Amino acid sequence: MKAKIAAFGEKDIMLIFKAIGIEVFPASKNLRLEEQLEKLIKEGYAVIFITENVALKASALIKKYMNKTLPSIVVIPGLGKKENFAVDLLRQAVVRAMGVDLFAENG
Amino acid sequence: MLLNVNPTRMELLRIKKRLKIAQRGHKLLKDKQDELLRQLLSMIEEVKNLRTEIENKFQSILEGFMLAKAKMGPFQTEQELVSPVKEINVSITEKNIVSVKVPVFEKEVSGEMIPYGFLNTSGETDVSLIKFEKFLESLFSLAEKEKAVHLLANQIEETRRRVNALEYKLMPDLDETINFITMKLEETERSSIVRLMKVKDIVRKH
Repeated sequence: MKAKIAAFGEKDIMLIFKAIGIEVFPASKNLRLEEQLEKLIKEGYAVIFITENVALKASALIKKYMNKTLPSIVVIPGLGKKENFAVDLLRQAVVRAMGVDLFAENG
Repeated sequence: MLLNVNPTRMELLRIKKRLKIAQRGHKLLKDKQDELLRQLLSMIEEVKNLRTEIENKFQSILEGFMLAKAKMGPFQTEQELVSPVKEINVSITEKNIVSVKVPVFEKEVSGEMIPYGFLNTSGETDVSLIKFEKFLESLFSLAEKEKAVHLLANQIEETRRRVNALEYKLMPDLDETINFITMKLEETERSSIVRLMKVKDIVRKH
């Protein structure tokens, strides 16, 4: 199956994704971010790269699609401060699965 | 909690059968859970390292790119990058880990990384783009593995709930009901014997 790839986030960061031939969708301020992301998912993008700042604002939606096989939403760090959004998500998933915080233990 | 059944021999047989099936299911699910945990454990360390590596690398690449962009001017940068030559085709296949379907991405890359001529652009842009190109590989492998971890974790949670429901709810309930029916049957048996003896006594007295 052919997969479509999208990148979603701040316009500045999107440029670098554009250069490698990935379809980019700069986050526009007029529409709600969740709606924009949902639209991408509905259109059948299998891999969606999303910057951390945007991901934080659409976290409910990302959590919703976390346990579906597709799409794979990958949070990439943006400029500025790191919020560890993706690591937190992983940690939560692991804690729920095992009842032990494996991430904190080692790192 | 006692199941709502009639204390008959039929019912007893039926429930004993149910208990047996529950026990078998419980064992199977437990095995599944163990295997899932094993898979998850082997994956977690990898994903964690990959994630940290990517966060650090990507940030430095992005910073380089931003500097390059600032040097060239945002408008110019946008113009140079507007028609990419490079093309990435990704195909998805599904891998089955203990009946959890996990996507596997295979990518095909064609074309050059740098879509512009060298005349109006700075060297920094080239450098950061080339760095980013190398970086792509790990980005896709992260996409794949992170998804796998989430799916596995979810499946483990689900399986654990099922195992617990069987172990702590259904099986004790069935046990209790079996006990109840056996007692009840024994009780009726005893009472009928007593009744017979009584009847015999009365008959003998006459």
